[in-house]
Amino acid sequence: MSLVVDSITKRFGEIVALDGASFTVEPGRIFGLLGANGAGKTTSMRIVLDILRPDAGRVTWQGTENTELPRRTWGYLPEERGLYPKMRVGDQLRFFASLYGIPDAEVRAEIDDWLERFRIPDYRDRRVEELSKGNQQKIQFIAAILHDPDVLIMDEPFTGLDPVNVRLLKEAFLEMKQRGKTLIFSTHQMETVEELCESIAIVDAGRVVVSGAVRDVKRDMGRQVVRLATEGDGNGVGWLTDLPGVTVTAEREDYVELRVPSDRDPATILRTAVDRGEKVTLFEIAEPSLEEIFVEHVGHRAVDEEEEHLAMTGREATA
Amino acid sequence: MNGLFPNALHVARREYITRVRGRAFVITTILLGIAVIALTMLPTILALVGANDPPEIAVSVEADDVSTDPVVALQALLVAGANPAAGEGGEASPAPEPTAEGPTVTRTDDPGAAAQSVRDGRLDGLLTITRTEDGDLAFTYLSDAGPTNQTRILVTQAATALTIGDRLEQAGVSAGDSAQIFAPPDFTAEAADPNARDEDEFGGAFILAYAVVILTFMAILTYGNWVAQSVAEEKSGRVMELLITAASPRQLLTGKVLGAGGAGLTQYLAIVAAVVIGLAAQGPVSSALGVSGSSQPFQMPTLDPLTPLAFAAFFLLGFILYATLYAAAGSMVSRIEDVQQAVGPLIFLAMAGYFAAFAGLNDPNADWVRLLSLVPFFSPYLMPARMLLSSPAPAEILGAIALLAVTVVGAMWIASRIYSAGVLLYGQRVGIRSVLRATRVAR
Repeated sequence: MSLVVDSITKRFGEIVALDGASFTVEPGRIFGLLGANGAGKTTSMRIVLDILRPDAGRVTWQGTENTELPRRTWGYLPEERGLYPKMRVGDQLRFFASLYGIPDAEVRAEIDDWLERFRIPDYRDRRVEELSKGNQQKIQFIAAILHDPDVLIMDEPFTGLDPVNVRLLKEAFLEMKQRGKTLIFSTHQMETVEELCESIAIVDAGRVVVSGAVRDVKRDMGRQVVRLATEGDGNGVGWLTDLPGVTVTAEREDYVELRVPSDRDPATILRTAVDRGEKVTLFEIAEPSLEEIFVEHVGHRAVDEEEEHLAMTGREATA
Repeated sequence: MNGLFPNALHVARREYITRVRGRAFVITTILLGIAVIALTMLPTILALVGANDPPEIAVSVEADDVSTDPVVALQALLVAGANPAAGEGGEASPAPEPTAEGPTVTRTDDPGAAAQSVRDGRLDGLLTITRTEDGDLAFTYLSDAGPTNQTRILVTQAATALTIGDRLEQAGVSAGDSAQIFAPPDFTAEAADPNARDEDEFGGAFILAYAVVILTFMAILTYGNWVAQSVAEEKSGRVMELLITAASPRQLLTGKVLGAGGAGLTQYLAIVAAVVIGLAAQGPVSSALGVSGSSQPFQMPTLDPLTPLAFAAFFLLGFILYATLYAAAGSMVSRIEDVQQAVGPLIFLAMAGYFAAFAGLNDPNADWVRLLSLVPFFSPYLMPARMLLSSPAPAEILGAIALLAVTVVGAMWIASRIYSAGVLLYGQRVGIRSVLRATRVAR
């Protein structure tokens, strides 16, 4: 039984934040929610968490409507991080756990365990305002999981973290997955998605343009990528474009990248090259990257939007 | 899981602890405590610096045929004026003995020297009594006192009495007859309302009514503002999203009001404790310092044992009503600086009740006061005031409490909807319209 988001629509005045968005997350998986800022990721998450109510559509987890589920089903790491600056880390974490009905005694050991895991064991009695942004983010992650939620929803969990902390957080993700938890997170970083996610949904302008297992999404692109390099200056790439269905997508210093429809056998390219007497040094059949898939569906790259977002924070909150 | 507790208590506990441990709280509580103790010690302090120095007046009688001794008459009036309680009652009170601390009146035969003493500040005044050509008494009072000076007013009254007595005597009225003339009238004020408060207690009841109105107003304004501020802080600090995921708006709202209200009540109790300590210590401190100071500012009115209970109900319900709406107002702004603007209408409402109560204190039985004392936003001020100064029917009191309680429940409902919509809306200014639109689909 999975998490089903069923054609949710949400308007904020004139703005349509979500326009019949649907996707399904299998339990025990890591799921990536991709989209430019303002695409509707945060709104989808808030609706799943039932802190916003949709104008239409519904959300179910294991067959139960989200409005009927106990709060402790969910763990949430919001995009805008926020903790009580004057409160001590330990007090703060225990306070949030208490709101989920977890008694003090039960979380103490768990808190120490996680602080240890994140390599900040001495920070329990520090005030949050004394911590760096990255460390605050780790505290916030702990706050999201202390009550042992079934589904962990995280909005841009990796932004603002240095590479070491990114790795620690990825390890924590895998640990949660091992405990049988379902993880949903949004991001701009396609490499992270490629590395962690089994399934994804790409959201654009309030609609889910594509969703499913990463493997299927790639296969459904209906094409393959071939990288080819030949020795010598070669005779140009003209002969390649004469092949039916083949397009040259990139001419790099040391190889060319080709797009081949999935009903064509890429081997014909190799055969032709050999027949022409080219000395082939590289022949690789690859699947399209998520980056390419994203661009193909959304029309532009995801990261470009990020810089723009920095200049106009706050839009996400209303959209 | 949608019950109010225990989450509201967790939120309240956090709020209370953070608030009470805060530096601002500790400092203001200590400063207010010191100020209040200083206030209760005021009579002692004044006595110590000599501000309560009893007046000393010299009388130079140049009209030697005055039958009543002006010195005795003046002394009696000044002493009676300094202790008004001694003179009341209408019965012939024994002539007040001049005490060392009371006003002193002495006869002088050397007006020049006495006038110099007044100018030097050793004497408070010199009253010269002469007789004019047409046979009437004439008075000249030499002093630094202005027209509102208590001693000067008493001296003027004494002069009037002396003149009238003198004129009566000249008209041939015997001394015994003039005593009869001066006897106070047999006057009894009867209350139409059989439950009306005892006359003697009215002054105390009036002061208490003022105190209740002012304390309620201050609590609403100060601690209500804490609630709004605290909600706005959580919103601008973005803790809100975590909170709203973990707990329902109703739990958060209730916890906030209870926590900030509890902290406010703690401060109030600390101040009341300071008042009690100050009043209790004032007598011993005064006598230890060898000065006198009145330790009984007014007579406490006798109250029905249920009355304080009703006061507590009005105070708490009134505070909760306003504080709940303050929380909703706080949830509508994105920046802490905008809180004052958002709570403006509430401050206006609270002030309206406050001023209505002040106007109503003077006429507690007026129809408009009766009506307003039932209206929820005003009853926390007006009904306790009426209970002290008048005698509202028990049904009126219970009705006002019931109306207030129902309004609190309604305000809770509206406020938690505004809150659940408001806390997720960010923008330069979140207007009431955008919030209302958002509440339509809030959970």
